[in-house]
Amino acid sequence: MSRAGIRVYLQVYKTQIIRSMTYKFEVYGNILMQSIIMLASAYFWKALFKNSDTVKGVDVDTMLIYTVVSAMISVVLTCNVERRIMTSVDKGTIAIDMMRPVNVFGVFLAEDIAGITALVFQNMLPILVIGCLFIKLPTPAGPAHFALFLVSLFMAFWINWLIACMFGMIAFWTLNMDALIQVKKHLIRLLSGSIIPLWFFPAWLRNILEWLPFAYLYQLPLDLYIGKYPVSSAQCQRGLCVQLLWLVLLTMGFLFLQKRVTSKVMIQGG
Amino acid sequence: MEQEKVVIEVNHICKQYKVLKKGEGIKGALKGLVTRESRLVPAVDDLSFQIKAGEIVGFIGPNGAGKSTTIKMMSGILTPTSGEILINGMDIQKKRKEVVRNIGVIFGQRSQLNWDLRLGESYELLRHIYQIDKAQYEETLDVMDQILGIKELLDKPVRQMSLGQRVKGDLVAAMLHSPDVLFLDEPTIGLDISSKYALRKFVKEINEKRKTTIILTTHDLADIEQLCDRLIIINHGHLMEDGNLSEIVNRIAPYKTLVVEYYDEYAPEHDKCELCFHEENVAKYRFGKKEITAARLIEELSAKAQIKDVSIEEAGIDDIIRVAYGQ
Ligand SMILES: Nc1ncnc2c1ncn2[C@@H]1O[C@H](COP(=O)(O)OP(=O)(O)O)[C@@H](O)[C@H]1O
Ligand SMILES: [Mg+2]
Repeated sequence: MSRAGIRVYLQVYKTQIIRSMTYKFEVYGNILMQSIIMLASAYFWKALFKNSDTVKGVDVDTMLIYTVVSAMISVVLTCNVERRIMTSVDKGTIAIDMMRPVNVFGVFLAEDIAGITALVFQNMLPILVIGCLFIKLPTPAGPAHFALFLVSLFMAFWINWLIACMFGMIAFWTLNMDALIQVKKHLIRLLSGSIIPLWFFPAWLRNILEWLPFAYLYQLPLDLYIGKYPVSSAQCQRGLCVQLLWLVLLTMGFLFLQKRVTSKVMIQGG
Repeated sequence: MEQEKVVIEVNHICKQYKVLKKGEGIKGALKGLVTRESRLVPAVDDLSFQIKAGEIVGFIGPNGAGKSTTIKMMSGILTPTSGEILINGMDIQKKRKEVVRNIGVIFGQRSQLNWDLRLGESYELLRHIYQIDKAQYEETLDVMDQILGIKELLDKPVRQMSLGQRVKGDLVAAMLHSPDVLFLDEPTIGLDISSKYALRKFVKEINEKRKTTIILTTHDLADIEQLCDRLIIINHGHLMEDGNLSEIVNRIAPYKTLVVEYYDEYAPEHDKCELCFHEENVAKYRFGKKEITAARLIEELSAKAQIKDVSIEEAGIDDIIRVAYGQ
């Protein structure tokens, strides 16, 4: 990538951060929603663990940490790229966006990263404070676990963004995608471990989910954070490998779709 | 001389769109998913022309003639099925990235501005995308401010702008990187009078001040009358006419119209001209300049009925369009 290209993305990032910082209303709504889900989950787990010290090898304190960190991860996994693509296809401006001497998807990515940066301050910190006050201080299992958590979270961000971007690209073929996006959102919420850890699922379902990308958005980073498995364990290594595999696959899928979309616009006129 | 330099050269371009055949009902839809039958819709068929530096060319034709398709191909958005387009001597297909830097394009009713940003933020972004240095950017903004008064809008969020303000914003956005060529596809459609006026002023002045070559499509005859020296008329993707406005008028509409107001409702016919309009006391006669003179026609008509008033209309663009479109 050229220096000029990077400068464009930095400019996008800068502009978008300033903009995101001024969008107050949405932000408060988000904090409220996240906090309610987080607090409700915490009470649910406390009730569940009333009669037993550990369930599935995890104690109640760990489960509370899980809840708080999951809410914080959700900030890193927010993106707007689907809607961005849909509106520019809808408005018919995507062709000109793609004609500019800069990669339009790079611009969308920079916008999303800027949005997340703003949300770290506007959402993640308030959630952390609320979590600490009312639930528990979420300390990681150890330095090695925390380091792997960061690696895995980074990959989770990319997997999430690539899936969203490819979903958005479907808009080039069919315009009405709102239902599809809703389905995807709920699938992720349910099957990623964001609310209920996958260990509570029946074995057959777990075996399937282990090979789908959803678990690598929340479950794997969370397992690493709470230290569900030792750092050197096979589960740990296999998890990170499958996550990396998904990252590679999705990147290839993205590059393929990007090519298809570009040639569709150039030949079919959008 | 600068005027002689060819900026745009279009050589035998064709464009066919591939359209998927849609079956009927659910059965047809399912079948369509599997077989994907398609047919080709011809939009542009063997079009060639050249445009010189500093020209303002009106690109006209009825709906579906292929105007937008041609504009998209010339601005690098759409790939021609065959043929080539050279901008400043460079093939737009082969050197797209380079060529595109020299092109500005505006599609009426499709704002390119980001609704979530302030106008100035959008411009700052474009400045980075096209790598325009600060000094040149400021200079362009100064020029644009003189023409459109754009500076007072820079801090305004695009979302809150009126249509007229957004049009101004789009015009400046398309000119920020100082392109040699500007394409405008139906830029005045849906605009109020004062925005139309601003747009025409803009086109005239950037053409004068920056020597920008401008190609515009429009259905508004006033746009053409006030802006264009040259017309290219297409229909069904074919070139119908290409030339100087008055030259085309003289050639394909070599007639005038005599408007006569009688004292009576009776309007006599005349064998050397066509009675093309008659309502109440007013009649219009279209006559060829070679067939008969106006003085003679008035004289002969007044012998048959008493005339109150006369006036003469020159053939205009609407006449050429009627003839050229074959309506
Ligand atoms: N994206 C497209 N897919 C299929 N057919 C198209 C597409 N765009 C335009 N056409 C067809 O091509 C022809 C020319 O269209 P267009 O260039 O938009 O004409 P104009 O701008 O002169 O009204 C029309 O018959 C139109 O239906
Ligand atoms: Mg059109």
